[in-house]
Amino acid sequence: MRRRLAILIAACAAVLPAQEQDFGKRYSFAEREPRTQVEKTIDRLLPSIVKIHGASGLATIKAYATGIIVSDRGHIITLDQILLQADRTRVVLYDGSVHRAILYPADERLGVRLLKISPEDVDGKLQPLWPPSEEQAGYHNGQFVVSLGNCFRLAEFSEKVSATFGVIVGTANTALRYRMADVKYDGDIILTDACNNPGHYGGGLFTLDGRWIGLNMRLLDSKETNTMLSAAIPARDLLPYLEERVLGKPRVEVRDEVVPVWTGITLFEQAGRKSPPAYVERVKRGSPGRELGLRIDDLIVRIDDFSVRSCMEFRRVLEKYKPGDTVKVMWKRGTRVMTGEMTLAKEPKR
Amino acid sequence: MSVRALFAVAGLIAPLWAQRGGTDEFVQLEPVLQAALHKASAFVVTVETFGGTRRVTGKEGPMDGLAPPKPRPKPKPKPKDPDDDDDDGEGKKKPKIPLVAGGFQQAQGKTTGVILSSDGWIVISRFALNLDPTTVLITVPDRGTFHAVRAGEDTSRGIALVKIEADDLPVPEFVHPNDVRVGQWAFALGRTFAQREPTVHLGIVSAKRRLFGRALQIDAYTSPANYGGAVIDIHGRVLGIAVPLSPSGRNAGVEWYDSGIGFATTIADIPHLIARMQEGQILQRGWLGVQLSTSHLGPGAKITGTPKDGAAAKAGLRKGDIILKVDGVDVLNGPHFQMLVSSRLGGDTCTLFVKKKRKDEPVEIGPIALKNAPWSEQQRGAEEVPASFSLPKGDGGR
Repeated sequence: MRRRLAILIAACAAVLPAQEQDFGKRYSFAEREPRTQVEKTIDRLLPSIVKIHGASGLATIKAYATGIIVSDRGHIITLDQILLQADRTRVVLYDGSVHRAILYPADERLGVRLLKISPEDVDGKLQPLWPPSEEQAGYHNGQFVVSLGNCFRLAEFSEKVSATFGVIVGTANTALRYRMADVKYDGDIILTDACNNPGHYGGGLFTLDGRWIGLNMRLLDSKETNTMLSAAIPARDLLPYLEERVLGKPRVEVRDEVVPVWTGITLFEQAGRKSPPAYVERVKRGSPGRELGLRIDDLIVRIDDFSVRSCMEFRRVLEKYKPGDTVKVMWKRGTRVMTGEMTLAKEPKR
Repeated sequence: MSVRALFAVAGLIAPLWAQRGGTDEFVQLEPVLQAALHKASAFVVTVETFGGTRRVTGKEGPMDGLAPPKPRPKPKPKPKDPDDDDDDGEGKKKPKIPLVAGGFQQAQGKTTGVILSSDGWIVISRFALNLDPTTVLITVPDRGTFHAVRAGEDTSRGIALVKIEADDLPVPEFVHPNDVRVGQWAFALGRTFAQREPTVHLGIVSAKRRLFGRALQIDAYTSPANYGGAVIDIHGRVLGIAVPLSPSGRNAGVEWYDSGIGFATTIADIPHLIARMQEGQILQRGWLGVQLSTSHLGPGAKITGTPKDGAAAKAGLRKGDIILKVDGVDVLNGPHFQMLVSSRLGGDTCTLFVKKKRKDEPVEIGPIALKNAPWSEQQRGAEEVPASFSLPKGDGGR
């Protein structure tokens, strides 16, 4: 034990030469016992949260994030949107020990990635977390949450990551982007007012009783409002990726061939206007649009749950469907709001 | 109903359970908050707008002064000192620093509204109409989507009324601002990202009688995601409507959305204005057109200038005059005069008791009808009006 500690100290001394004197011995401080639910939850979860330093080595760290231990074999999940380099990625555990990590292939859709450290090098036992099962995974707006993450890389060595507190603001499935790039993840996200800051990414969002409900994303831009949002990927959505990579379960990927759908609806697109509202100009005879009963000058306002505010959005929304799908369409005729179901077709051959 | 019962049971059990572990305020608060949110979700509606020719950019400028779409005001030369009620005209000497990174545009996303009456009057944020949409649709939870007809607006309060053809809508209880205390809970609800229940931001009432008695100030985050939404108390009653406003009335809203400085226009205290808006009137902030001396400490408010086309100039007020009374109320000093006048709207009148320069006997002037505040579209084309909130300059996170 003591020898291992000595090695650890030596390792830390090697990687943090400037701070050798400050961290010459195990860094700890006295604390009172946790009393409230929030304190107890944070106290219990902190050992499962790790600091991740990627990219350009420990001397001039630019890329940093947070990770969550998901197996006692050393698997750690984090967000893929930090600069991670295979030979340079370091994981700093709760006790301050620094570990090399190997990188697993990322999940492109979720934008998450698994790392693995070797559990033999760990002093003591890892305390993994696992996303809750479907019945346990529920959350609702206005529920209090604790967000844990190493925002702005404030925690060094064995210092604990930061905890922020807030509520679940809502869930959203809306057009989002990171800086100007579209977000690939298309599932529901959890919005929270427990702020996400650089470094907090890859940390976890937990309920008062410590259920893991989300993995912190980067700050998002919403196209709906042009404002920035703190958000998290629901933890249960990580399950397929984790089960495949950690438990070795084969994953069934369903990848449909992309076939554009056809509605037979021509929209009124004025020249010179960027994206006018989706007014119907013509509906082809025998087309899904004609069956639905659309007429000239109807304003299409919604397809299923997607708001259609412009001709461009009309096309974007339809890209999500394939021929044969049935969609609920809402349109406005004069002052009447009408709805109907339309079965999308394939473009007829000429 | 069963959900409500569940909340009630949870509300009873949670405190008992919490007592075992000592003080656990959040565990106790959660079910109470849930119950309030659930109650409010019935009357917080979704607002969708379609069409609209205006480009709303993040350039610095007015919101409160956004002129109503009809009738269009004729272009006039910019008045030198157009207002009497922000900061004694001092702010205008400094060059204005735009707070906005270029290229910001108001998105035409969903916004939020609150049911005002069971027969279909809905109060929404003026922000939702910034783009001058041709179609407004209102979605009432569990009742469907309705076509809404635009009625009047109060640009000084940032609210607008629309009417839908529906009956028996759930109506919230509106709390009069006199029954509100600073420090009580204030939750801002929004429908932009909401699927079943509205989104919620927590906060407290930060201040009362802001913007000359028009709004409560709250520290719950407000942004386009909840403009127009209800700000409720812990019992699910409506304290006000979340709107972008700013004290000067020019930078149009929270300079930084989600900043912890939010405004909620109170409704329970303005039934007379609601009635005017239902008739389709566009209410705007009143403008008397006097500049006040900051060195004159009272009694009375000393005038240092009267812009030519202001109501005060027309009524014969000049530089050097001292206003002693407004509608019979003694004016203590300049700020007091502002308090007395700035809560008024265009078209309201005031009678002044003035000591004219070089005359001993004070004279009564008025009633003077206030003009609408002139900061509007005069400075820019109708195609481009400023957004009602701005982003910090520079990188600004994007």
